Amino acid sequence: MTLPRSLQGRLLVLVLGTVTSVWLVIAVPTWFDARHELDELLDGHLAQAAALLVAQQTHEFEGDEHGGDDLDAPVLHRYAPKVAFQVFHEGRLALRSANAPAAPMVELGRRFETGFATVQIDGVAWRVFAARGAERDVQVFVGEQTGSRASILWAVLRSTLWPMAVALPLLALAAWWAVRRGVAPLRSLGRTLAERQPQALAPVVLSDAPSEMAPMLAALNGLFERIAELMASERRFTADAAHELRTPIAAIRTQAQVALGEADEALRRHALQATLQGCDRAARLVEQLLTLARAEAGATAALAVLDLSALVRQVVAELAPQALHKQQTIAVDAVQPCQVQGDATLLAVLVRNLVDNAIRYSPPRARVRVSVTRETAHVLLRVEDSGPGMTEPDRQRIGERFFRVLGSGQDGSGLGGSIVRRIAAVHQASVRVLPSADLGGLAVEVEWPARS
Amino acid sequence: MRILLAEDDTLLGDGLRAGLRQLGFLVDWVRDGEAAERELRAQPYAAAVLDLGLPLKDGMEVLAAVRQAGIALPVLVLTARDAVPDRIRGLDVGADDYVVKPVDLHELAARLRALVRRAHGQPQECLTLQGVTLDPAARSVQQAGAAVALSAREFDLLHALMLNGGRVLSREQLEQHLYSWGQEVESNAIEVHIHHLRRKLGAALIQTVRGVGYTVLRELSRP
Repeated sequence: MTLPRSLQGRLLVLVLGTVTSVWLVIAVPTWFDARHELDELLDGHLAQAAALLVAQQTHEFEGDEHGGDDLDAPVLHRYAPKVAFQVFHEGRLALRSANAPAAPMVELGRRFETGFATVQIDGVAWRVFAARGAERDVQVFVGEQTGSRASILWAVLRSTLWPMAVALPLLALAAWWAVRRGVAPLRSLGRTLAERQPQALAPVVLSDAPSEMAPMLAALNGLFERIAELMASERRFTADAAHELRTPIAAIRTQAQVALGEADEALRRHALQATLQGCDRAARLVEQLLTLARAEAGATAALAVLDLSALVRQVVAELAPQALHKQQTIAVDAVQPCQVQGDATLLAVLVRNLVDNAIRYSPPRARVRVSVTRETAHVLLRVEDSGPGMTEPDRQRIGERFFRVLGSGQDGSGLGGSIVRRIAAVHQASVRVLPSADLGGLAVEVEWPARS
Repeated sequence: MRILLAEDDTLLGDGLRAGLRQLGFLVDWVRDGEAAERELRAQPYAAAVLDLGLPLKDGMEVLAAVRQAGIALPVLVLTARDAVPDRIRGLDVGADDYVVKPVDLHELAARLRALVRRAHGQPQECLTLQGVTLDPAARSVQQAGAAVALSAREFDLLHALMLNGGRVLSREQLEQHLYSWGQEVESNAIEVHIHHLRRKLGAALIQTVRGVGYTVLRELSRP
């Protein structure tokens, strides 16, 4: 049987089903018990009646030989037709009730002379008690239709089942009411949630919530809290993205307009150069955003075993001209092969971001050092510089999308940190941003679990 | 008109300064919030263009501090923050206009002129005093229906005097209106420009208050 989908219907079916089953379980033994007791009582009556008849007949036959004509005894009670008796004397029918057949109710000649039997007479079931007189010439049968016993039993059971039958609908009604009251907090929760604005993320408070609902409410409110945090972070991202995307476009537009309106050749060239610079910046920003999106999708990371040292040497070789241009000293300490598992393209992006930032945010003639070392349990990439470094709160915020130290004089996108963190997370590597003890600027460490 | 531009983005700041100069403004450019506040307190700018995401001190704080100090110059906030709550907050803190980047240079200039005009209680774009009409947008001057050709400095000087019609401006004040940073001010420059203006527009327009400065009088309504 499938239960109803509604909790209320379910509880109602279970409660009523259980009650009915219990009643039935109790009623069945009661039925058998009552029948047994009734049988015993009535059998006792049959035996008693037979004994009386035997005693009487013995007495009569001893007194005078029976008249022979008045065989049929009168009917005295309305139940009498359902009860019958026969008296045989020396094999002849001596006396019988009006409804008794002429033939013995239980075939004579069988070894049956005394005791109970259930027989069919003219298609009706009878319970018969047979008895013999002391002289063994008197045979008495006292019978009773078994149907009458069933009627009595039914009458008895009816009187006990009736109240039950009446009580069941009342019980159903009471159970329905009780269940309805019991699940009221659920309905009120449903209503509260349905009435909410889609943006409403305040915790749900139900004053009458039962303790069973507390874990569900706590889970629900926890979910609301996480969604609110997520939405706040998305809103911040949108606001930051708006700023970062609009500023280069505003610069391009303004410079282009200046170029259009400028009569002086040198100034117009300057404005056009600035326009191109703005385009490069916007392109770089879009590139970074796409890289970040790819890293956040994460699924593209094709993990292969590769030598981080070789990768670092290659990336630094690409970026070194930029450092030399600023007369910076850039040194690489990555001789020992250090194997890590990772996606070569993403890891190159990570290293490039770190080294590029070190070069970009350090002044001319600064020192930048990149090292890869293998310890027993991990592989460590460290990029440090002798630049201005960062304050503790700023170091905490590095990695937030679009976070940028204002006033650095550099038009970065503020996405490099996010990209590094994201790529590191895809590779189960951890990122630390520290002050550089050796060079005095910033040190960024990325740590991979070592491959055995 | 001398204005202060506070913008930390190098490319945008450079573009705005060049563009506003083309349109006849004298532009002083600062790149952080503290410098912006310092300059606004020190110089009598006609207006300011203020970015909000400034290093050292947020634009909103600068604005609040300047208003707190009782400086009433028109401030146009130029920002990428386009959310309605940001706009409302900006205007409530004391911005006179709130413009989201990117902006057309001509529109920005028009908005600045409108702000300056309103700050001086002028209902119309053109200033007219004693038969001389000055159009700040076209940077043109007419007298008795005929155009009068003025140099940029002469125009700015006349603009400052007519905007403050009826008030006497000292030579120092006029110099501050006329020269942005780094521009050499010759000792008698103002006198020379006044002399040229008088020659072109008639001696009666600009009056000298000896020992104090110069003024263009408003017409007095005679009873």
